[in-house]
Amino acid sequence: MGKYMNKKSISMALSVVVASSVFVGCSKQEAGGSTTSPKASAGPTAAGAKYPISTQETLTSWEQMDTNLASFVPNLAESTFGMQLEKETGVKVKYTHPADGQSKEQFNLMIASNKLPDVIEYNWGGGGTAAYPGGPEKAIADKVILPLNDLIDKNAPNLKKLLQQDKELDKMIKTDSGKYYAFPMIRPDNGLVFRGPMIRKDWLDELNLQVPKTIDEWYTVLKAFKEKKGATAPFTAQYSSELNIQDAFIGAFKTANRFYIDDQGKVRYGPIDPQFKDALTLLRKWYAEGLLDKDFALNTDSKALDNKLMSDSAGATVGLLSGGMGRWMDTGKKKNPKFQLVAAPYPTLKQGERAFIGQRDFKYNPVASKAVTGDSKNAELAVKWLDYAYGEKGGLLFNFGIEGESYKMENNVPKFTEKITKNEKFNLQQMVSQYTKPNGPFPGDARKSFNTFKEQDEAIKIWGETDAAKHVMPLFITPTIEESKELAKLNTAISSYKEEMFVKFVMGKEPLDKFDEYVKRIQEMGIDKVTKINQDALDRYNKR
Amino acid sequence: MNTISPETVMPFIPKKRSRLGILIDIRKNKLLYVMLCPVLLYYVIFHYGPMYGAIIAFKDFSPRLGIWGSDWVGFEHFQAFFTGPYFWRTIKNTILISFYQLLFGFPAPIVLALLLNEVRHALFKRTVQTITYMPHFISLVVICGIIKDFTVSDGVMNDIIVFFGGERTTFLLEPSFFRSVYVTSGVWQHIGWGTIIFLAALTGIDQEQYEAAKIDGAGRWKQMTNVTLPGLMPTIIILLILEVGRMMNIGFEKIILLYNPGTYETADVISSYVYRVGLQDFNYSFSSAVGLFNSVINFILLICSNWLSRKFNDTSLW
Repeated sequence: MGKYMNKKSISMALSVVVASSVFVGCSKQEAGGSTTSPKASAGPTAAGAKYPISTQETLTSWEQMDTNLASFVPNLAESTFGMQLEKETGVKVKYTHPADGQSKEQFNLMIASNKLPDVIEYNWGGGGTAAYPGGPEKAIADKVILPLNDLIDKNAPNLKKLLQQDKELDKMIKTDSGKYYAFPMIRPDNGLVFRGPMIRKDWLDELNLQVPKTIDEWYTVLKAFKEKKGATAPFTAQYSSELNIQDAFIGAFKTANRFYIDDQGKVRYGPIDPQFKDALTLLRKWYAEGLLDKDFALNTDSKALDNKLMSDSAGATVGLLSGGMGRWMDTGKKKNPKFQLVAAPYPTLKQGERAFIGQRDFKYNPVASKAVTGDSKNAELAVKWLDYAYGEKGGLLFNFGIEGESYKMENNVPKFTEKITKNEKFNLQQMVSQYTKPNGPFPGDARKSFNTFKEQDEAIKIWGETDAAKHVMPLFITPTIEESKELAKLNTAISSYKEEMFVKFVMGKEPLDKFDEYVKRIQEMGIDKVTKINQDALDRYNKR
Repeated sequence: MNTISPETVMPFIPKKRSRLGILIDIRKNKLLYVMLCPVLLYYVIFHYGPMYGAIIAFKDFSPRLGIWGSDWVGFEHFQAFFTGPYFWRTIKNTILISFYQLLFGFPAPIVLALLLNEVRHALFKRTVQTITYMPHFISLVVICGIIKDFTVSDGVMNDIIVFFGGERTTFLLEPSFFRSVYVTSGVWQHIGWGTIIFLAALTGIDQEQYEAAKIDGAGRWKQMTNVTLPGLMPTIIILLILEVGRMMNIGFEKIILLYNPGTYETADVISSYVYRVGLQDFNYSFSSAVGLFNSVINFILLICSNWLSRKFNDTSLW
C-alpha cells in the first residue's frame, strides 16, 4: 500500500501532495515610502469605454489570489474588491485561483489541457523567468495569447495614453518584434526597492556596536551576536532554490548569484566569476564559525525564518520591507517592546564604497500581468475591463479600495481609514487585501504605503543606495522561439548543478579547490550559450 | 487440507461452451456484473486511457498542437536522458533507496507481526498496534514536517546525540544521512499498517498444526519457525513480488519534501528528477520519456521476480 503510484497518475498526485513544498516565486507587491512624491501617478483620465459597460457576457480569469485575502473568502469575486470592481466596470467575472504555492504546476497543466479562460494573470515576461516556455513571442505564435496592439489601440485608451507618455514603459512591455502581450503591473517610482539586509538594532545598542557597513564589520557584529547574545544562527535567510541572501554579501565581491550586467554592459553569469570564489570563501567561513544558520538550506518556508527571528536565535536576515520587516517588528514588539530591526546598507568590502548590486525592481513587473488568451471569445470586452485599472477611478479602486470605506481623501491625497489601519483582529495587509488588489495589472500609486514604522521608511533609502540599476538584468527581455528552446534544454541541469555545488561549497562538503572544476563543468553544460542568448536578448531590448 | 476450494463449488462448464457460459453467467448474476463496471471503468479511464499519452515521449510535445499534432522526434528525449549528466546518479539513487527500503522496510512488519502474535495480553497487543499504525494516517506533508523538526541542528535527535556526547549535525543537509533518514522514517511510518495483512494471514493458519507441533515437543521458537513462518510464506512472497514490481517508483513525494540541493547527490531519484524537469520546467516530453523508461524497468523487475518465485517457491502472481 502506501506509495503505489501509477506512472500516469503522477501529475495528479503531484499537484495534490508535493507541490506545497515547492516555492514558486509568488512575490508580494511592496509599495514603498510614505513620502508622497509630487508627481503622483494617478493615471490619466478615462476617455474611451463608458463604465459601467453594459454587457451580458461573463469573463473568465485565472489568477493567483492574494494569500491574505484567502483567509477571508475563497474567491476574488466574493471579496469586497471583486464586487466593487464588478459594480464599477459592469463586467461579471468568474475567477479561478490556483492553490497557493502551486501556481506554476497548475498553470502548466492548464496550458496543457488546452482549456483557457479569457484572461490569465501570470508571469508573461521573457527571459528565464517566463512562465510559458518560449516566452511571450512563442505564446503568441502558439495562439495561447493574443497580440494586443490593435486591441489596446481601439479599446484601451487609458493604457494607451500611459504608454504614449512613458516611452520607457512602452519599451518594456513589448516583445522585440513590437507586440504587446500583457496588461502590465506597474510599480510606482518609490516602490522599486523593497528588500535588503536588516539587523537587530536593540542588540547592536546593547553591545555598543554600529550598524555594519562592510563585510568585516558584519563579521564582528555576527560574532558578537553569537558569543554575547547566544544566537545559534546569527544570520539566517529564507532559502528557496537560491539562497535568499540575494546579492547582499555576494554583491560585495562585485558579482551576483545569477546573471547580471557588468560595467561594460556585458551579460555575465555570476556563479562562475573568479570573484564568486571569494564570496563562497566568506560564506563558508561564516558557516564553519556558526555565524550563518546551520540549517539554512532547510529554511524553505517563511515559518522557519519567523521562528528563528522571533525566538532570538537569529539577529540578522535579508527580507522584504513590509512582509518581512514590518511583520517581524509587529510581532517582535509584542513579546519584547525593545525589539527593533533596522535596515543595513548592502555591504561592501571597503569602507565608503557604493554597493555594486542590490535589490531593485523595474517599473514593469512581469510577475503579475494579465494576458488575453487566444481562446477568448470576448477579447474586446476583456481589454476594456482590464483598461479600467489604468484610469483615475480604477486606479483608486485597485490601490486604495472604496472611498469612504477603506480610504478618505485628505487634501486630494487618499489615506487609508482607521477601519483598515487599526483593526483589532486583522493586520494592515490582511485588511488591505479585502479592498484592493495587492498584485496585478494596474499602476501602483506612489501615495500608497504599508509602512507602519519609521524604520521602514529609512530602509527604502538605505537599500536604494546601490548601483543595482546598472547591474540588475531586466526581467522582461525576450528570447526568440529558437533561443527559448535552447534555454529550456540547458537551464534545468545548470541551475540544479549550481545550486547543489553552492550548498556544498558553503557547507564545506566540497573543497574550494574544486571551484575551477565546477566552473569547467558549468561551461561544459553550455553556460556560454545561455549567456549569449541573454546577451542577444538584452541587446535587442536596448535597441527596441 | 479440508478447506473448500473454488473448483468444488463452481459448476463445471465445458471449455467449448465457455462463451455461452459467460452469457448465461451474466444473465444469472446481473447485479454482480453491474457492480464490476465501475472498477473496470476506473482502470480503463485512469490506467489504460492515459497510456496513450505516453506517445509524447517520442514527440516534441506542444500543448497547443496536441498529442497528435506535435512533431515526432523518435528517441531524442531518451537519448538526452541517457547521455545527460544525471542519468547514472538518479538510477543509482533510485535503486539504492528502494533496495534499502526493501531490505529494512519489508521485513519490519513481518517481525512485528510475529512478535505481536506471541503477545497474549490483548489490551497490550491492541495498544501497540494502534500506536504503530498511527503514523500511516498522518498526511505526508505533516510527516515530513515532523522529520524536519526532529532532525534540524537544534532538534530532538541532536539533543539526544549531544546528551550521549556526540556532535550536532543537520541530518537533512548531509548527503550521507539522507537514505538512512528516508528509510528509517519509512519503517516508522508503515510498520504498523504493514502488520495488519500479516496478522490477518496468521489467523488463517490452522490451529491443529500448532497442537500437533506441541505434541511433538516444539517450543515457542520451533512453533514459529516450523508452523507460523511457513504459513505466512505465500503472503510474504506475493507482497514481495508486488513490492519488487514497484521498486523504481519509490515515494517521490517524500523525496521531494525532504531533499534540497545539498542532498541531491544521494536523494535525487528518477521520479523527483522527472518532476523537476517535467512539471516545473514544462518539458513534458522529456519527462514522459524518463517516466516510460522507469515503467519499463518496473515491468521487467516484476516479471523477473514473479518468474524467480515460481521457480523456487511455487507461489506467483500468475
